[in-house]
Amino acid sequence: MTADDHIVFIVDDDGRIREALGELLESHGMRTIAFESACDYVRADKPDLPACLILDIELPDINGLELQRQIADRDHPPIVFITGHGDIPSSVRAIKHGAVDFLTKPFSDADLMAAVHAAIAEDRTKRSERAELDMLKRHYLDLTPREREVLPLVVSGLLNKQAAAELGISEVTLQIHRRNVMQKMAAASLADLVRIAERLEIPITHSRRVGGN
Amino acid sequence: MRDQSGRIVQWYGLCHDIDDQVHAEEAVRRSQQQLQQIIDAVPVRIWSVEPTGGSFYFNKRYQDHFRSLIANFDALGEPRIDDLLQQLIHPEDAPDIQRTLRNCFETGSGSAMRFRWREQDDVYRWAECRVEPRRDDDGTVVQWYGVSLDIDDEVRALEALRERERELSQLVDMVPVQIRRLTPEGEPVFFNKRLIDFFGLDVGDMDRPGMSRLASVIHTLVHPDDASRLLETVHRSLASGDPFSIKYRMRRVDGAYRWVDGRAEPLRDQSGAIMQWYVISVDIDDEMRAQEALRDRERELSQLVDMVPSLLWRLNSEGTPTFFNQRLIDFLGLDIADMEKPGVSRLAALIEAAVHPDDAASLAEALNHSLVTGEGFSKQYRLRRADGVYRWVKGSAEPLRDENGRIVQWYGLSHDIDDQLRVEEALRESERSLWQIVETLPAMIDCAAPDGEPVYRNPQLRDFLGYKLEELDGTGKSRLAGTLDAGVHPDEVAGVKEKYAHSLATGEPYARRHRLRRFDGEYRWVETRAAPMRNAEGEIIQWNVICLDIDGEVRAQDELRLAQEGLARASQAASLAELSASIAHEVNQPLAAVVANSHACQRWLTAEPPNMERAQKTVERIIRDANSAAEVVSRIRALFKQSADRRIQTTISGIIDEARSLMTDEAWRRRVRIGVDVDGNLPLIAIDRIQIQQVLINLIRNGMEAMDAVADDRMIEIRARHMGNAVQTEISDRGQGIEFPEKMFEPFFTTKENGMGMGLAICRSIVELHGGRLWAEKNNPHGATLIFTLPIETKAAS
Repeated sequence: MTADDHIVFIVDDDGRIREALGELLESHGMRTIAFESACDYVRADKPDLPACLILDIELPDINGLELQRQIADRDHPPIVFITGHGDIPSSVRAIKHGAVDFLTKPFSDADLMAAVHAAIAEDRTKRSERAELDMLKRHYLDLTPREREVLPLVVSGLLNKQAAAELGISEVTLQIHRRNVMQKMAAASLADLVRIAERLEIPITHSRRVGGN
Repeated sequence: MRDQSGRIVQWYGLCHDIDDQVHAEEAVRRSQQQLQQIIDAVPVRIWSVEPTGGSFYFNKRYQDHFRSLIANFDALGEPRIDDLLQQLIHPEDAPDIQRTLRNCFETGSGSAMRFRWREQDDVYRWAECRVEPRRDDDGTVVQWYGVSLDIDDEVRALEALRERERELSQLVDMVPVQIRRLTPEGEPVFFNKRLIDFFGLDVGDMDRPGMSRLASVIHTLVHPDDASRLLETVHRSLASGDPFSIKYRMRRVDGAYRWVDGRAEPLRDQSGAIMQWYVISVDIDDEMRAQEALRDRERELSQLVDMVPSLLWRLNSEGTPTFFNQRLIDFLGLDIADMEKPGVSRLAALIEAAVHPDDAASLAEALNHSLVTGEGFSKQYRLRRADGVYRWVKGSAEPLRDENGRIVQWYGLSHDIDDQLRVEEALRESERSLWQIVETLPAMIDCAAPDGEPVYRNPQLRDFLGYKLEELDGTGKSRLAGTLDAGVHPDEVAGVKEKYAHSLATGEPYARRHRLRRFDGEYRWVETRAAPMRNAEGEIIQWNVICLDIDGEVRAQDELRLAQEGLARASQAASLAELSASIAHEVNQPLAAVVANSHACQRWLTAEPPNMERAQKTVERIIRDANSAAEVVSRIRALFKQSADRRIQTTISGIIDEARSLMTDEAWRRRVRIGVDVDGNLPLIAIDRIQIQQVLINLIRNGMEAMDAVADDRMIEIRARHMGNAVQTEISDRGQGIEFPEKMFEPFFTTKENGMGMGLAICRSIVELHGGRLWAEKNNPHGATLIFTLPIETKAAS
């Protein structure tokens, strides 16, 4: 019944809440794993799937907001906070730090599900972006040193002649390198290559106008 | 020849050859003459007398003798024997002689007698006279002959001999030596008087049957321990003829045994055969005892030297070790002989073997210095014990000088001070560490005399105060008063002084918190504790004072203390806000579960096909969680219901006092003063003191919080007065005031960032439960007053 391509993690110290949330999410066909404390969650082996983390703010060991801060620099599922008495500063802080939503108990089915779906979708996007970037990085690593020198010059918009002069090689040689780069980076066009370079954060080192001496 | 008439008848002649006769006669005459000459010439006095005692004959010597002594001797005619005796014989001897002579004459037997006769110049000389009778053939005494010999010289010689013998005997008896004589076989035959006196027994008194006299004497009179040895020695000498000399103990008459020195020499005749043994013994008991005492003393000294728990040694004047006492030998495991090494002096060998290498050179130098200069030696160094462990010793030595001041010996002592050094070191270390503790403890420490005058302050206290103890002198005040006046906060100085005075008077420990002025003028909270240090007699010899800067902690601890007190008196001091938050949470959790479960249930029911099983399960959970929420509510209700039973008759003023003291710390923290103005004689009212206390605390805290933004003049005033048939209590603050005096009592109304908005609502319900009212008024110019009344005749509003 439940979908296997995503998962919801629930962290709440109150067993009744864990139980009820699990039930509700399952009734929506979602797989859940519940944890009693932040530590349990951090330590557990979790399936590598697009996910959502439903996190209670008032936890016995680490406050939910603190946990958010601690895992901020890691790849972690988007968070939906739940709290017994939501105060404005906490919710502001949570949202600022990237929480998908901040729900005050008791919350409605619709609010919760909207937040959970949004979170999973976000995670799915983040994951595919990460995967694509990983692929681009692998392509980039395949380039020879000379090709890596050629790439920024090409995406900067230099003419072949200019780029060849920059590197002190013949235009023909440059064209060979450029073709190899396009192939290895799986770029369909120069525009595509420019987009890829942006994703890889390869700096544009030369401007055609300035460098065109 | 004649006839009858006588006429001559004839002559007859005869010539007879008488030559022989004449010659014979002549010879007889000559012989007689010679005899007469002999008689007269022999140097004896001869006399004879007829038995009748008639005429006496005296030879010429006799007559000469008489003539020389008796005047007119020749004229006297026939002398009478008795007269002669009387004149010539010593008067003491005369009667005896007379009697003897008479006896001779009467009995006819010869005799011999001695007497003294008178010589010229009235000198008496001893003479001997022998009288013998001459008898005829019939045996009749015809003549008595007497011869008198001068035997004076012999008598005197004999007498002298006797005298000498007596003297000798006396000598034997008187010399202060005990003498006995033994036969060649060893039998004692003579004891001199001293010996007899010593024993109280003479020779022969100890004879025992079946035992030789020698054996019995020895067994009786010689100490049992010495008897067999003596007997053996005597027997050996008797057999060999050699003299002996032996010391043994003899029993004196009083039973005491005394040491004697016995010596024996044999007396031999010309042929060399032993005639006698002479044995002497001299009482040497006193000497023996003295010697024994001396030996004892020597032994004791030697023991002392060995037993004295120190290492003793002696060097000769060149520094060569000549003596180690036993302890030193045991300590080193070496004796002097062990130091003999070819080519190395004994001292150097000793130092090399026994002194720590680090100390050897300096020790050798110090010793040499003493040996050269004669100055006493004293040094500490490490000495190697037999087990290889080096121990610190303190060595010292002094020279012994002869009368010329020349050094004869060096006497030295090395005392093991290792333990002492270690203890001292440990003590020093401990003292240093204690001192360091006192100096570096992050606390201010002060020591004071029994009268409280400070005598020492550690650097922390000096730095805090910024002045030295000495600077207090000369101000006319005591150091203590000076310190207190200069340092303690004016609000507390009186109390501090009073408490100090009390402690100093009673000896009770002192402890108080107060503010103390730091060198920069800032008053900081400190906690000062002082305790007396007493001597063995229990007298206080010093006050030790520790003073901790707790200013930083006071604030932090206030929070902690509040939390702790809040826990301890949860029912009293717990804030209503906390309470309501907790209630809300308690209710909210099951409620949230109920909602979620309800949605799930709905999903299961609306699914295609409906999952009845899961729906059933969720409904069960909904019921369970809803009940749990209901339980929370009823628990809270029960809390209030219970409270109604706990009402007691009391006055509001007591509760105000309690609430105020519970809030003191918080008020101090928030720099808020609390003023109380309560009428005397307020009537008793029936109230639940805990609930009313909570109302008061809540209102006071609200008031204080309202003044958080006010810079100064933070003041809460509590007033209570009797108004009609109620007691009215007012709590007013000087905060921002209130916008909605009525709305603020509604549940969940709050202007506070963290508030639940339950406090005033609960307060109002508590007051109304007591039949009173709670409302708020604005103050002029600012602030608010919360007022509640409690009826004197309380009718519980149901």
